[in-house]
Amino acid sequence: MKNLILKILGSISLTSVLFVFQACYGTPQDMEQDNQFEGIVKSKASGNVIKGIKVSTNFEGRQSYTNENGEFSIFLPLADEYKLTFEDVDSTVNGAFTKYDTVITDVPGYVHLDILLQPK
Amino acid sequence: MTGRINRSLFRLFRKLETSAHPLNYLFWECTTRCNLSCLHCGSDCSKESGIPDMPLPDFLRATDTIQRNGLITVVLTGGEPLLRRDLEECGRQIRKRGMRWGIVSNGYLYNKERHNALLSAGMGALTISLDGLENSHNWLRNTAGSFERAAQAIALAASSARLNFDVVTCVNPHNIGELEEMYYFLLSVKVKAWRLFTIAPIGRAELNPELLLTDGKFSQLMDFIASKRELKQMDVKFSCESYTGPYETRVRDGYFFCRAGINIGSILADGSISACPNIDHSFVQGNIYRDNFFEVWQHGFTDFRDRQWARRGKCAGCNEFKDCLGNGLHLWHGDKKEVLVCRKGIAER
Repeated sequence: MKNLILKILGSISLTSVLFVFQACYGTPQDMEQDNQFEGIVKSKASGNVIKGIKVSTNFEGRQSYTNENGEFSIFLPLADEYKLTFEDVDSTVNGAFTKYDTVITDVPGYVHLDILLQPK
Repeated sequence: MTGRINRSLFRLFRKLETSAHPLNYLFWECTTRCNLSCLHCGSDCSKESGIPDMPLPDFLRATDTIQRNGLITVVLTGGEPLLRRDLEECGRQIRKRGMRWGIVSNGYLYNKERHNALLSAGMGALTISLDGLENSHNWLRNTAGSFERAAQAIALAASSARLNFDVVTCVNPHNIGELEEMYYFLLSVKVKAWRLFTIAPIGRAELNPELLLTDGKFSQLMDFIASKRELKQMDVKFSCESYTGPYETRVRDGYFFCRAGINIGSILADGSISACPNIDHSFVQGNIYRDNFFEVWQHGFTDFRDRQWARRGKCAGCNEFKDCLGNGLHLWHGDKKEVLVCRKGIAER
């Protein structure tokens, strides 16, 4: 109720913009929507997590790598369709695996992926 | 008549907002290291800081105490945040906790690779400083080539539809004559928002009065901003740094409201809990290594939320105090006997 009163007052007094204020020496506030993709990459043969897998996307330059726990996380702008490619780029370090593509549509804001890569 | 009603409603809004004091905006002074040595630095940062970067887990332990009431934007500042090698991991962990994040940067290290890495880690807001055309910027930033690097960073950031991005300029006697040319330069690289500051006599600028604007130059700045706002080609505005007297609502979207300690908090490099990082250290409310951050936020900050103490010096008998409340809190330093800057009545002076 208090929040509602504040919003009404802010709007009437032409200060509704102040609800999205920015501090003197700060950035603008971030209220945009985006989508997060995160998950774990494992070996299909052993079930072990794989470190150093490159996760690239259909957005130029937007990529990530799996960490020592096989985990990755990447935020991408809103789109109808996302293509994620999982690629072993460190030769035989951490094993050697076949590249894998996946296409995802209708993303609800957050997607968790469990990816299994086939050893070469 | 409408203006008086709006102002009265705004005062009521400000009173209620102060009473509720929801934390929406949190500065994290994640490093005091800096790759530049700007003449006007309010933080007095340097290449070799004596204060180590705060470890990410320490910051997260403090923010985990927050009972959120709406979205919080965490602004990583410094120093130069791009010097932190774990910046992307910091951002990912902040997003993981349901908060948003952005950085304030001098742009010197902001290249395409870092741009993509930061966006991939969920960065949603960015501010880059551009303090004049080439010579003026390099002079103030005290580094040759810094204009070129900042300009490249600005073009890159402006190309992202996702980023809430703006350019900030510290206006001073050296660059005030260049604002018109800067405006068209920023338009040419598709910048949508430009925020202009003045330099307060604090930090290194305290010893450098040639950086400060006279009342006449300040009026010139206000007129410039007001005229560019009418064009509606770019969101040009004066920062929230101070009350502007007769220019209120012409140079910003709303009335002056210093939200330090009301909506804005900070965790400084040494763990101090305060509001905007340029506020005098005597206003520090606690320390995350000793106190529960959110308890301090909820129950401390009394001088931030009740500004009646600022009725002193030239503010004591001022008939505009109810709108200004003693100006921006960063303008009270040292013994706090007098506000450092007052722009009341500048049009008449």
